[in-house]
Amino acid sequence: MIGNDIVDLNVAFVQSNWRRKRFLSKVFTEYEQQLIKSSANPDKTVWLLWSMKESAYKINVQQYQDVFFSPRKLQCKILSKTKGLVMIKDEMYLTESQINNDFICTIASLKKDVKKLNEAFELDDDSYAIQHKQSSVKLMVAVSKKWDLPLKDVRIKKNKIGIPKLFLNTKELPISFSITHHGSYGAYSIVC
Amino acid sequence: MTKEELIRSLKKIVKPYVQDEAAFESLSEETNFIDDLKINSANLVDIMLDVEDEFDIEIDNDAMEKMLSVQASIDIIAAKLNEK
Repeated sequence: MIGNDIVDLNVAFVQSNWRRKRFLSKVFTEYEQQLIKSSANPDKTVWLLWSMKESAYKINVQQYQDVFFSPRKLQCKILSKTKGLVMIKDEMYLTESQINNDFICTIASLKKDVKKLNEAFELDDDSYAIQHKQSSVKLMVAVSKKWDLPLKDVRIKKNKIGIPKLFLNTKELPISFSITHHGSYGAYSIVC
Repeated sequence: MTKEELIRSLKKIVKPYVQDEAAFESLSEETNFIDDLKINSANLVDIMLDVEDEFDIEIDNDAMEKMLSVQASIDIIAAKLNEK
């Protein structure tokens, strides 16, 4: 299983004011708040931790099929500039992030060295519907190429709790993947 | 406060964060913030904070955990208002 999350840093800057009262304490543990406070670039640290939490949560929800919103219960530990850990109850997730001035993209996995196909890309338009469509198409093209499947038969459908699944026509494909988009950026990650 | 009044206040709170206007127009108790309104999860935190300010209540972590739909939100707000 795999989980990913992308944050468009420019959009996050205008869309989310994490400096507002009580925001940090609702989302971050004491340890994480310390990391933000002592960071040379608190904006980047906030969104790095956020994308770590989101990507790990996306695996957890696939494992337990239970949707919840409790960001403080997803506890991060930063190991290096790009690597980290997230604990959710008794589960531990490993994260690896790509960080630049435009976006932060994190991929979470359950164990080391999961072989995967990843791509982060810029989207043409920042309207939600178009972002969503473009990101899905990118993923479907990658799957069709990788497993030599006719693109016109590859589909993505969400299950009843909102987890996306890949299908070849009506048959579900046993492919573990994660897809994300925010602002002008999207990304997918596929286990292969 | 009646249920209708609660929904009306909540609608005003979530409006700035909605990314699917059609789903917002047809908002009902079953509407889910993320799946239907496509609200960004970071903005869910803003909704929690706005709800706290608007109703002068505290949404603790346990309450927040399930506050993902209109129904769950009005149940939690009503319960917190009752405690006051």
